[in-house]
Amino acid sequence: MRFMFKTDYEDDIRLFPHSGYLISYGSLLVLLVIAPFVLSSYLVSQLVFVCIYATVGVGLMILTGFTGQASLGHAAFLAIGAYTAAYLQQFNVPFPLYFVAAGLLTGIIGALVGFPALRLQGIYLVIATISFALIVEEILARWESVTNGNEGMRVKTIQLLGTAVPRDSPTFYFLCLGVLILTIVGTLNLLRSPTGRAFVAIRDSETAARSMGVNVSLYKVKSFAISAAITGFAGCLFAHKLSFISPEMFTLQLSIEFIIVILIGGAFSLHGAVLGAIFIVMIDPFLTYLKDDVPGMIAGMAAALGAGSERAAHIQSNVAAFASANGLKGAIYGVIIVLFVLFEPLGLYGRWLKIKLFFQLFPLYKRATFKRQKIYVKSERNR
Amino acid sequence: MSISFKVLGLAVSALALTHLPAAAQTKVTNEGISPTEIVIGTHQDLSGPIKVWGVPVSNGMKMAVEEINAAGGINGRKLRLILEDNGYDPKKAVLASQKMVERDKIFAMIGPMGSPTVLAAQDILFDAGVLQLFPLTAAEFTFKFDPAKPQERLKFNNLLPYVESTRAAIKYMMETKNFKKPCLMHQDDEYGKNVLDGFNQQLAAMKVTPASITSYKRGASDFSAPVAKMKSDGCDLVVLGTVIRETIGAMGEAKKLGWNVTFLGATPTNVLEVPALGKEAVEGLYAASGFEIPYEDTARGKVKDWLVNYKKMFNTDANTQAIIGYNAVMTFAYYVNKAGKDLTGQKVLDSLESGDKFLDIFNSPPTKFSKTDHLANTVTQVQQIQNGRWVLVKDNLMF
Repeated sequence: MRFMFKTDYEDDIRLFPHSGYLISYGSLLVLLVIAPFVLSSYLVSQLVFVCIYATVGVGLMILTGFTGQASLGHAAFLAIGAYTAAYLQQFNVPFPLYFVAAGLLTGIIGALVGFPALRLQGIYLVIATISFALIVEEILARWESVTNGNEGMRVKTIQLLGTAVPRDSPTFYFLCLGVLILTIVGTLNLLRSPTGRAFVAIRDSETAARSMGVNVSLYKVKSFAISAAITGFAGCLFAHKLSFISPEMFTLQLSIEFIIVILIGGAFSLHGAVLGAIFIVMIDPFLTYLKDDVPGMIAGMAAALGAGSERAAHIQSNVAAFASANGLKGAIYGVIIVLFVLFEPLGLYGRWLKIKLFFQLFPLYKRATFKRQKIYVKSERNR
Repeated sequence: MSISFKVLGLAVSALALTHLPAAAQTKVTNEGISPTEIVIGTHQDLSGPIKVWGVPVSNGMKMAVEEINAAGGINGRKLRLILEDNGYDPKKAVLASQKMVERDKIFAMIGPMGSPTVLAAQDILFDAGVLQLFPLTAAEFTFKFDPAKPQERLKFNNLLPYVESTRAAIKYMMETKNFKKPCLMHQDDEYGKNVLDGFNQQLAAMKVTPASITSYKRGASDFSAPVAKMKSDGCDLVVLGTVIRETIGAMGEAKKLGWNVTFLGATPTNVLEVPALGKEAVEGLYAASGFEIPYEDTARGKVKDWLVNYKKMFNTDANTQAIIGYNAVMTFAYYVNKAGKDLTGQKVLDSLESGDKFLDIFNSPPTKFSKTDHLANTVTQVQQIQNGRWVLVKDNLMF
């Protein structure tokens, strides 16, 4: 086990506290860089969606995980980013310009949403953000001159420095990965700044934060704006990845998916946003793999156990029929989420921390280490 | 000397020939075709908001595949169908399409479901040279193609488009029944927008002004306000851009108000569920449709056998959706068969564009495509619910 000896403030806020971080993140980066050249474009496509969802996850994490403001309206922010990009692209605006515009406009709208949300807490804030998302969906369907209404918009391939960047190319993957890494590094920086600490203070206790001189309203609006802007950037990439956008794609269900990203991942860390995105995007293809391959494997096992080839084929067809039952994937997905909420409220990242600590302290691991310590002030308990 | 010049000339012209057409040539894949098998793929909504369509369509497709294979396949090749669930989520549709192209190596994508799902995924297919045949969306993107983009030639559709079928049905109703004040109630989505366009275009062509146009959000269940508004606007023909529940809801509301008005539904209302669930509320509803809905007790010959087999296989009655799925695979099989024993992707494309007519067992209008037209037909029928059953009123309508 490593003991950190900190001698000044810089030690405390360093992005890489010790060399181990550099080695592990460095090797992860190397793997991610070579990924598009060794993996099939099906897997790279999944990684692209992971990057986009993780970017949204980081944005939502700032608002919900670190500032404590729940939102079920992030599909609307994603939509604003996507439509801004698609609209500006029609006028031959270069990609870097409309990419920035997508983020900025979404950020401004996020701030505007933040103002009325100042007076709302908990479940009421959730309702307000849902209403906002419904309003945006309605506007997208009605404002036909800009959004083409319910017929949707086609999004052309990105033109960057005079070359086309198709949505299945390694370049597009690197673009999404780059945006994700910049977002994560930017957010880490934000969190160790006074602004980030104010966010966390507001999350833990608004009353305490206010009494320490934190301007609660200002920081809440800031948090909304930053979170929305990041989601807007992701929206621009999302539009390009799908090459077609329509209002019915940005529904409440998508907002719920984003909330699941941070719930499954672990609600109080950026690692969680990435892990949650991996879960949400890759669980469906993974279950598809199982559906395709498990029946053959079981039949193989049955044959190895001496069941006879005819019986093995019979078993295979029965298992295949069960595995491809309609809605089975949805049910498995739902069960996994319920199990997470029941047994691992700290999410995937929480589980990883526990496993890591278990080996670090072996054989002296104490379960109580991760027991929730926070005690609510009585007046804040029912919010 | 002269011989070597000829050789050079031949070589140059051969080189030119191999290079010139490459720019305009459509690349069609030969993946998925083996001496014993043809692999086809589809992505359906089996768990999302339109699974009432996705499940029976996929059943119909499975049944067609089994039938073809039981009869020995197409020129000795059996069909293998890869079915994935898209949940009406474009992200899943994109990933499912990539999986089918790369992992399962499909030769053609047949009957994929939903507008956003099909549109988000179709470029993946075209880039790989995979045919996209008969998707279940009436969007123009699925059959209109740009001749300058050779890969776009890989798309074909045989679904009756909403705009054209709505226009033909409205024209027939207005001309024969002499309505003066037509109204529209439509769903607020891409489908409803298509019906609205058809309604507006046809009325403009006939120089009639619409008496009122109302819309509702998908999933709405109370139609008292729009129906009351249409009544007060004095409508004599109500065109419905609705699906199943809304059709029944709107007509039930009119009955409740004692309003005796004629209703005409767009093609999605022409399904068995409407009279089965709506009972006397939907009696008298007219609808645009592509083909006659068969009933087990009156059907004869092949159609009767088909209905019985479907029920035996899936333990439920066949419906329009199942017929559409079944026909998608059967149409594909017809043109692949025409392409001959020595099968390639290019031959299938040529066979599809040959103009040969495919006739199904349900007596639908013939399917045929050409080099410039990849939409099967726009021939519309009008049917009416009489005593709880769909009855053909008028055939062979155009606008």
